[in-house]
Amino acid sequence: MIDLIKIELYKIFKKWRTYIGFIALGILIPLIHFAMVLEGERTINFMTRNIQESFVFVGKLLNTYLISYIILTSLAVHIPFLITLVAGDLLAGEATAGTYRMLLTRPISRTKLIIVKFIAGVIYSNIIVFWLAFLSLVLGYFIFGVGELLIIDGQMIVIFEKNDVLWRFLLAYGFAALGMTTVASLAFLFSSLVENAIGPIISTMAIIIVFVILSAIQVEFFQNIKHYFFTTHIMSWRLFFDEPIDIKEILNSAGILILHIFIFFSLTLIIFNKKDILT
Amino acid sequence: MIYLIIFISIIELNAQSINSDEIIKSLISRFNQVKDYEVDIEIKVDVEFLKVPESKAKLYFKQPDKVKLKSEGFALLPKDGIDFSPTSIIKGNYTAIYERNEIIQGNQNYVIKIVPLNENTNIILSTLWIDTKNFVIRKLESTTKTEGTYSIELFYDDNFKYPLPKQMIFSFNIDKMNLPQTFINTTPKTGRRKFTDGPIVGKVYVNYSNYSVNKNLSDKIFLDK
Amino acid sequence: MNNSDKIIEISNLTKRFNDLVAVNKLNLNVYKGDVFGFLGPNGAGKSTTIRMLLTLIYPDEGNIKIFGKDLIKERLNILKKVGAIVEKPDFYGYLTAYKNLEILGRISGIEVNKNLIMKNLEIVGLANRFDSKVKTFSHGMKQRLGIAQALLHNPELIILDEPTTGLDPIGMKEIRDLIIHLSKELKKTIFLSSHLLNEVEMVANRMIIINKGTTKVEGEVKELLDKNRIYVRIDVDNAEKTLGILKLTKWSNFIRKYTNNHLEFDLESYEVPMLNKHLVENGVYVYSIIPKRSLEEYFLKITNEASDD
Repeated sequence: MIDLIKIELYKIFKKWRTYIGFIALGILIPLIHFAMVLEGERTINFMTRNIQESFVFVGKLLNTYLISYIILTSLAVHIPFLITLVAGDLLAGEATAGTYRMLLTRPISRTKLIIVKFIAGVIYSNIIVFWLAFLSLVLGYFIFGVGELLIIDGQMIVIFEKNDVLWRFLLAYGFAALGMTTVASLAFLFSSLVENAIGPIISTMAIIIVFVILSAIQVEFFQNIKHYFFTTHIMSWRLFFDEPIDIKEILNSAGILILHIFIFFSLTLIIFNKKDILT
Repeated sequence: MIYLIIFISIIELNAQSINSDEIIKSLISRFNQVKDYEVDIEIKVDVEFLKVPESKAKLYFKQPDKVKLKSEGFALLPKDGIDFSPTSIIKGNYTAIYERNEIIQGNQNYVIKIVPLNENTNIILSTLWIDTKNFVIRKLESTTKTEGTYSIELFYDDNFKYPLPKQMIFSFNIDKMNLPQTFINTTPKTGRRKFTDGPIVGKVYVNYSNYSVNKNLSDKIFLDK
Repeated sequence: MNNSDKIIEISNLTKRFNDLVAVNKLNLNVYKGDVFGFLGPNGAGKSTTIRMLLTLIYPDEGNIKIFGKDLIKERLNILKKVGAIVEKPDFYGYLTAYKNLEILGRISGIEVNKNLIMKNLEIVGLANRFDSKVKTFSHGMKQRLGIAQALLHNPELIILDEPTTGLDPIGMKEIRDLIIHLSKELKKTIFLSSHLLNEVEMVANRMIIINKGTTKVEGEVKELLDKNRIYVRIDVDNAEKTLGILKLTKWSNFIRKYTNNHLEFDLESYEVPMLNKHLVENGVYVYSIIPKRSLEEYFLKITNEASDD
């Protein structure tokens, strides 16, 4: 099994499209850093302008933590796209290339093949999140250093002490990886249905965008059903920046995401095992 | 305003023996013993809309009105509480009216009303509780045009020769706090974001320790960013 | 041939795609050591049958046994001993020939090393292109690489779906020679699908012709394509007149068909000159005498019908 996963990862990383994600983040995040070097202080003054009317404060609020937080918030749709680029191609790509015929006439069960490809897709998704975390926190550290983290949470302004932040980020990135695994599993499911990777990429992104839009509509019906959208729970990494942390809520969101992953994966398994390979 | 004028007239007629201006003068003269100081402070914020960890900082003061807050980490102090020197509280043209005596913190205090005469100032009215023996401010209440009312209670170490407090409790009452829309966390559980209705209340506790007084502080301290 | 020699047993195999019955109650047996020709025009159901043999698609009815075992139940064990090319061989174009074979070998669960891969590349004449990316290969080279991957794990049964498609005559001959080598020297059983009768004739010992998903002809190649079993087409000036001349002779018993200008006779080859002499002596102008193998005609006919469809 390990050998087969290695083979799948080798195939993934031999394709140029895999590197789009890494390059995109490698350009986007330093750009954000650059913008914050120029405009960061103004951004913070804007965020804190009401407090500043009544309070004097000192402290290094423009630091890698704040910027990493902003990056993580802003990339709710962008990262999923980078995930679908690869996950959507895992099965559909074999159909396009015609390599199913070579692959599935080998003494390997279809179930094993699905498992192996899925794991490879999940590994890729986690690597992308890790890359995001590295660029945000580590690169940001060398430019901005560390300090307190200021966030605005609903009707609260919350400031976390310097030493109280890193562990939250590590857990938040871990949760983000779970979210991206959910996206990958949906793209993977669509990939099993078609013969071209474009379809899964577009379908997955369409679903994400529609869910995000519906969740934002301030109508009671949508506000009630949005708790069933996996996109809502992908953003639950923010729960690690509550004080105190609501463990129950986090576990609830994690559970919902894991359930989605399980359903998407199971459907893929069933569909692929029954499928006639005509390509 | 009308009430104020009537009030002033009554007091003027009755309170011939207590001269509020003299009290203020004594207060200022007592404080002027302090040319400059630096002090370690610990700040605890207990405000509805703020979740802030306890912070440590250093406060610098030099007569007449130089103040600087420095911290290695983070520190948050109410603007009106950073400088409790009498001259910062009693600024410009004003009318001081003695109201009564009152005991607070186990001490007798003159209760003096300060009405700023300058239209540009934010403060409408201040009330001072001034210790009758030591001529230190034990309590201050101010009503502002834009930020509601706040009060400051100052506690002193009786053995300390300078009129500098060991603790300040800053309480305030703000009408409304508008938070910027961007970067607002909307986690699944909080759902719809609500603006706060009604006044926001809060307290800030500041403890002062390790005063270093009249050490001839350099002006450079107050220029650094 | 006894049952223990049966490598492939197909019984009542049926596959439908919506309203189209692609394979219809197909039965066939392939024995150990056979080079089995699986013939049919385009759209006859050959590829569908091969895909079912390799579990790429699932039959609606019927049963397949390979090496005496049920294909569905013992799929993994069976496929370990089967090598195949299905239609056009497609590889990971962004990887080298070497890497493609290495990956396919590892997926097959065999011990893959440089010697093994290079040996197979040498067999198909691609050793000098081992580190070229497959996307740079011509069709013929991909075809040969396809055979290399089919042989990689030393299978007992080799299924080749139109392996000479797109090859030039030299390439085709090389493939035919390879098939004969695999059969005679390496004792492999080969299931060869083709739409070219002469290709099958040159290598196969047994064959089947299918059309519209059902068996039309089946048997030993030698028997079916025996040169002695021919019919003759004779082009004449006036078929009616010729019929009149032959009416009371023995030759009239051999007439199978006639039109305005030609007649067809079922004859042994030695009888042809005798008929020709009789016609000429009786004033019939004979324009041409063309011997035809009935099977070839039949296959041509059904091929033409298929391309008209």
